[in-house]
Amino acid sequence: MDYITGQFLVNLLMNGILIGLIYGLMALGLTLIFSVLGIVSFAHGEFYMIGGYVVYYLLQAFGNLEPMIAILIAGAVTFVIGVIFELLFLQPMGKGDIERPGEYAILLTFGLAFFLQHVMIGIVGPFPTKVDRFYDFAEIDWGWLRMKAATVWFFDMPISSSRLIATGVAVVLTALMIWFMSKTWTGRGLQAVSQDRQAASVVGINPSHMNTLAFGLGTMLAGMSGAALVTVFAWVPWVGMPASSKSFIIIVLGGMGSMPGALLGGLVLGIVESFGAGLYPDPSKALAYKDAFGLLVFALVLLVKPTGFFGRKL
Amino acid sequence: MKRIPIQGVLLVLLLIFAFAFPRIMQGQPYWLYVALQSFFWAMMAASWALLAGYAGQFSFAHIAFMGIASYTSGILGRDLGWSPISGIILGTLMAGLVGVLVGYLCLRLRRTYLALFTIAFSEIVRLIINAEHEFTGGPMGLYMEPLLETTSYVPTYYIMLVALIVSLAIMYAIANSRLGLFLRSIREDEEAAAAMGVHVVRYKILAFVITSMIAGIAGALDHHIIGFIAPNELMIPRMSLVIAMAVIGGTESLISASLGAIFIHFAMEWLQKIPVPASWMPSLRENTATLQQFGLSLGEGYLQTNAWRMVLFGLMLMLTLRFWRNGLIQPLLEKIGRQGVAEETVAKRKFSQEENEIEGTEA
Amino acid sequence: MKLEIKNITKNFGGMQALNNVELTIDKSEIIGLIGPNGAGKTTLTNVIDGVYKPSEGEVWLNDERIDHLPPYKIARRGLGRTFQVTRAFRRMTVMENMMVPAMAINPGAKRQNVINKAQGILEFLTFEHLANEYGRGLSGGQQKLLELARLLMLDPDFVILDEPFAGVHPTLQETIYGYIDKVRQEGKAIILISHDMDSIFTLSERLVVLDFGAIIADGNPQNVKQDPVVIKAYLGEDEEEDY
Repeated sequence: MDYITGQFLVNLLMNGILIGLIYGLMALGLTLIFSVLGIVSFAHGEFYMIGGYVVYYLLQAFGNLEPMIAILIAGAVTFVIGVIFELLFLQPMGKGDIERPGEYAILLTFGLAFFLQHVMIGIVGPFPTKVDRFYDFAEIDWGWLRMKAATVWFFDMPISSSRLIATGVAVVLTALMIWFMSKTWTGRGLQAVSQDRQAASVVGINPSHMNTLAFGLGTMLAGMSGAALVTVFAWVPWVGMPASSKSFIIIVLGGMGSMPGALLGGLVLGIVESFGAGLYPDPSKALAYKDAFGLLVFALVLLVKPTGFFGRKL
Repeated sequence: MKRIPIQGVLLVLLLIFAFAFPRIMQGQPYWLYVALQSFFWAMMAASWALLAGYAGQFSFAHIAFMGIASYTSGILGRDLGWSPISGIILGTLMAGLVGVLVGYLCLRLRRTYLALFTIAFSEIVRLIINAEHEFTGGPMGLYMEPLLETTSYVPTYYIMLVALIVSLAIMYAIANSRLGLFLRSIREDEEAAAAMGVHVVRYKILAFVITSMIAGIAGALDHHIIGFIAPNELMIPRMSLVIAMAVIGGTESLISASLGAIFIHFAMEWLQKIPVPASWMPSLRENTATLQQFGLSLGEGYLQTNAWRMVLFGLMLMLTLRFWRNGLIQPLLEKIGRQGVAEETVAKRKFSQEENEIEGTEA
Repeated sequence: MKLEIKNITKNFGGMQALNNVELTIDKSEIIGLIGPNGAGKTTLTNVIDGVYKPSEGEVWLNDERIDHLPPYKIARRGLGRTFQVTRAFRRMTVMENMMVPAMAINPGAKRQNVINKAQGILEFLTFEHLANEYGRGLSGGQQKLLELARLLMLDPDFVILDEPFAGVHPTLQETIYGYIDKVRQEGKAIILISHDMDSIFTLSERLVVLDFGAIIADGNPQNVKQDPVVIKAYLGEDEEEDY
């Protein structure tokens, strides 16, 4: 185990934080949906997957398209799909047309995940696609910070530049989302509905419009996280499944419906995974177990304290 | 009591057809194989219906229990030379044992939390099987000793058919016993059930154990017939398929859920290669490239639908949930059975509705 | 028969819902339990029933300590309750609803005997035409009746009725009066929680008043009615709201 040095640990921590910030953005979407609609969307990862594919196709079709524009379009596409689904299938729930709504929402979004996944398998086939990194970095050598096109060395610790860009995108989007939720009327309306539907409707907010908006925004955030990460991972139609699991883990860790909790939960999961995989005694299995560490923590949290760090009752 | 004869006659006809199927399908082992696979799915869907539809435990770990039993039996056969029969028995017990554990852990979890926990459990099982390759064969899968020496599907068809009938009979008896009554009361309202003296903990765990064992024996039998299992078979979309089958059939009726499974499995096989009239072939051939872009491929006289048939079932699952909450087959069976009683019930409904309205205006 | 509630205190986080509640019921009578909203009536019911564990104190039923027992065991030992918001098993028929407690307390019960008993109860409650109706098909008042019918199948010594008259049609109210009378005749004790003061004063033989989680009066209804503490805490101030 002599490869475990201080620097190695710091590197694990840094990688964990970088990926954790993106997880946080993705989970922010799920937590927004939960806090307003009161349901967990089991198709969250599929919107993440679609976001990635939208960028892939856009960059293939228009080679010189600005990647950031592609990410925005991916957000728009996933927003629209989310809104359509909400209007067709979830609106009747709010109107009381659906018996046993809790069970309905679970099975329905589970079905949606299956549906979207196979639509994409139908369109792109089962083979992985890869998107080249959005930007090349300039070459720099300042000793503590060295950069090449694809890699950055921070105190000799290598970080892939696509990961860094993806994290940058996620941080900007998270900041925008926080601004939107706290400073705009619409955002405050969403918060009001999530805290007290009846009171919100009394002061003139239409809760069912807020449902649609929240679902669309939630799926949009998932789509944009996927769009940002498409350069980091190989993309397959079922790439959304682990992404879904991660979002679940995060919102349970952070407390269902809590936005700061989602961001913190994202960081925790990123770090747990990074350390778990880096320190697992048998390196040949470490990667295979990477996803299991988070799930294990998740299962334990569900059993011990299902409301998470900042949770509220389901 | 007109209802029993109609349903009884249908059941007998169905059984006769099922037992005669290998003769009808003589020389077409492919469809015999499809049929025996459909019985596996029927056992999965019916046992999930008992757990979810009767006991109200919407667990997504059902496919994991199938995997646990299959792998237990496969590994015992490979490493200790156990015969498939003893492997299957121990594998089924193993699934039941893990069922106790999961049932116990799930006691306090309801709805969304239960769903999340069982998904996590199922994924952990799959990831462990994937990672511990020295022991499980890892992603490359595990060869399992064939159940029978013969290459004919006729005996294995009957084995699966009998397994299905026996497990349905057991589950039917449970559903209509006091245990079934308690499970339904727990599904409706745990607290009220407990206040009525129902030992909620015991029956919830029991529901997990029984249904896990049926998933287990279905999986172990089926994979000894196939001769192979891989961790991919424990993936969530396969769970979705079980759910789609049960929901489309009807989760509150075991026979509907299993008929749903059989129907969907056959439809899936048939849809794999849709026959195309010869007159369409030339124009389809011209557009091969376009077809391929949309994930369709053209064969000699048929169109291969690949993933799109799954899309169809995903859509059907969503639409069934939205518009036909009791499934598609269950209402049909009920209609056949209820012909004589229909009017009376309608009258009663109307009565209670009127009373509701009176009270509504007062409150 | 004896139900003893000894020094029960129940805290939820920082809030004290019940404070040192003492209550003994040792004979067949109808006890009215009243108190302003949030006084702790339902909390007390839930502590007796085993849904909540008391923070302090003990509950004894027929000389057996029951506060550590789960609700189903308490039910089997002879304590039954209804819920403030009715909890009929919605996707089960009235008959099936009633079979649950009978089968649960007596594993060897013959199905036909249970059905016969249920039919007798349904006739008494003028309810027999709905035996095969599903719980969800019943009106609110009928669901209340169903809960009462289930209780008769459980056949407990102590019956806690939580707001049996709320939202009930006047004709059904008569039936429920008859029910309470019958249960009383059978020698059971009834704890009646209700906001309906007319019914409470008509039916109760003993009246217990809860306020801020503590018992402020316990005794003959007429005396309690005159008690200045009660009038101040409850009847005087909140009268309009509670009728």
